[in-house]
Amino acid sequence: MIELKRISKSFGRHRVLQDISLSVKTGEVVVILGPSGSGKTTLLRCVNYLEKPASGEIAIGDFKMDCSQAKRGDILRLRRKTAMVFQQYNLFRHKTALENVMEALLVVKKMPAAEARSRSVALLEKVGLGGKLDEYPSRLSGGQQQRVGIARALALEPEVILFDEPTSALDPELVGEVLEVIRDIAREGITMIVVTHEMGFARDVANRVVFMDGGVVVEEGTPDDVFQHPQEERTKQFLRRITPEANWVI
Amino acid sequence: MGAPFEIGYVFSFLPKLLETLGVTLLIVAGSLLTGIVAGFLVALPRMYKIPVLRTLSGLYLSFFRGTPILIQLFLFYYGLPELLKPLGFDLSRAPVLFFVILAYGLHTGAYAAEMIRASVEAVDRGQVEAAYASGMTSYRAFSRIVLPQALAIAVPVFSNLVIALLKDTSLAFTLGVMEMTGKAQTLGTLTQHFFETYIALALIYLVISFTLEKVLLAAEQRLKRHEAREEKAGRSFKLRRKGSYRAVLADIDAGKGGRL
Ligand SMILES: Nc1ncnc2c1ncn2[C@@H]1O[C@H](COP(=O)(O)OP(=O)(O)OP(=O)(O)O)[C@@H](O)[C@H]1O
Ligand SMILES: [Mg+2]
Repeated sequence: MIELKRISKSFGRHRVLQDISLSVKTGEVVVILGPSGSGKTTLLRCVNYLEKPASGEIAIGDFKMDCSQAKRGDILRLRRKTAMVFQQYNLFRHKTALENVMEALLVVKKMPAAEARSRSVALLEKVGLGGKLDEYPSRLSGGQQQRVGIARALALEPEVILFDEPTSALDPELVGEVLEVIRDIAREGITMIVVTHEMGFARDVANRVVFMDGGVVVEEGTPDDVFQHPQEERTKQFLRRITPEANWVI
Repeated sequence: MGAPFEIGYVFSFLPKLLETLGVTLLIVAGSLLTGIVAGFLVALPRMYKIPVLRTLSGLYLSFFRGTPILIQLFLFYYGLPELLKPLGFDLSRAPVLFFVILAYGLHTGAYAAEMIRASVEAVDRGQVEAAYASGMTSYRAFSRIVLPQALAIAVPVFSNLVIALLKDTSLAFTLGVMEMTGKAQTLGTLTQHFFETYIALALIYLVISFTLEKVLLAAEQRLKRHEAREEKAGRSFKLRRKGSYRAVLADIDAGKGGRL
């Protein structure tokens, strides 16, 4: 269970997040939609404190923290309960696929090497990269790199995985393989918050859809609610713009 | 102009100059060590933008990069004992090498500081974020993720820095240190074969520089093996082409041989 309460964040005088509250149940997949600049990335990065929220509260499981007075230890604990999959993959460039997945197991979880290794191999096999264990990221395609990124996040067994547009840096023909992997892990009941522009994917993977604009949550509900019966004018506009074919049907 | 040129002297001077190689290398090693420590101390306030220290670092850099190394040597040798005397430190008996290594070390530190800062800043910000996101402390993120990548970036600059230092140490003779250049002067004066001495001296510096460069290049390639994609692909491609080219020729030859 993840609970964000009244999270606010500004860059200079620009208020990017305004008192955002959001709760995610264990095993739930929440998809965040919204136009560019609406604060989706910033919100996600506040959850693991890559961005420091000005105020608000974050609670994950039994751990609770007041953002305005977070200490170093709190931030570390928060980060160890979450994992992130980045738009630009951000694999450790000097480490092989296997080492990328093992790294935090060894350094953060202090897991014995043999155990870290077997777990990492299993995860890489699961994302279809059993044959690429010893490749450096520079020799992997974008889709393969992102699948390593997902394995790396899974390895930590976090309470929630944060995905920030995991497929938007990929060539169109590589998007499918990554979405397929994310679908698989969503089915296994892993809690996820996903920012994406892939509407079809959002529809069938989400338990709940949150529509953000201008740093606030405009509307949220089941995929059916939000996609078929949006209540707010801003949501309707956004959906019309992003799925023009909807106009033809109506 | 001294005695007429005789190539034989070059060879007989080589071993004599090499006797003092140890002193030169001691200065280089001592200064490098001092320089790297100083470099970190100077680079950190600039990287983390620590108010007052940052300004001091800036002054340090301006001084050591903006004045000739020869003058820095003299300032340290003649000035430091005077400065420290009122504080109760008596440096009048300190060996000359102490001043030489300190001056070269702090001088190298200025360049090392810029090398460190530039290399660390060249590491993609996303690398640190990924490390933080997976729960690493900032120390771990630096030592396991940033540092290894920064090192690979730094090696070419470091290589230049070491070679510059090696060549700069030749000025230590001005304070009477018997390193290689000092020794060469003495030999020249003694035998009047100045040209031969300096040829021998230049040869030695050349060989050391060349070796250092090769060793550091190998280190760089090792540290950058994760980026070897294009390079390696290119190389094996060329090899394969060469191979098949030869194979084609061999086939032709075999064919000819077969027929004839
Ligand atoms: N580091 C920063 N410094 C200043 N402004 C920033 C910074 N990061 C984001 N912003 C601003 O905050 C706002 C929200 O940005 P954010 O990246 O969260 O949007 P987004 O919803 O993820 O957009 P997109 O769909 O384009 O990724 C934007 O106006 C952006 O310009
Ligand atoms: Mg974004």
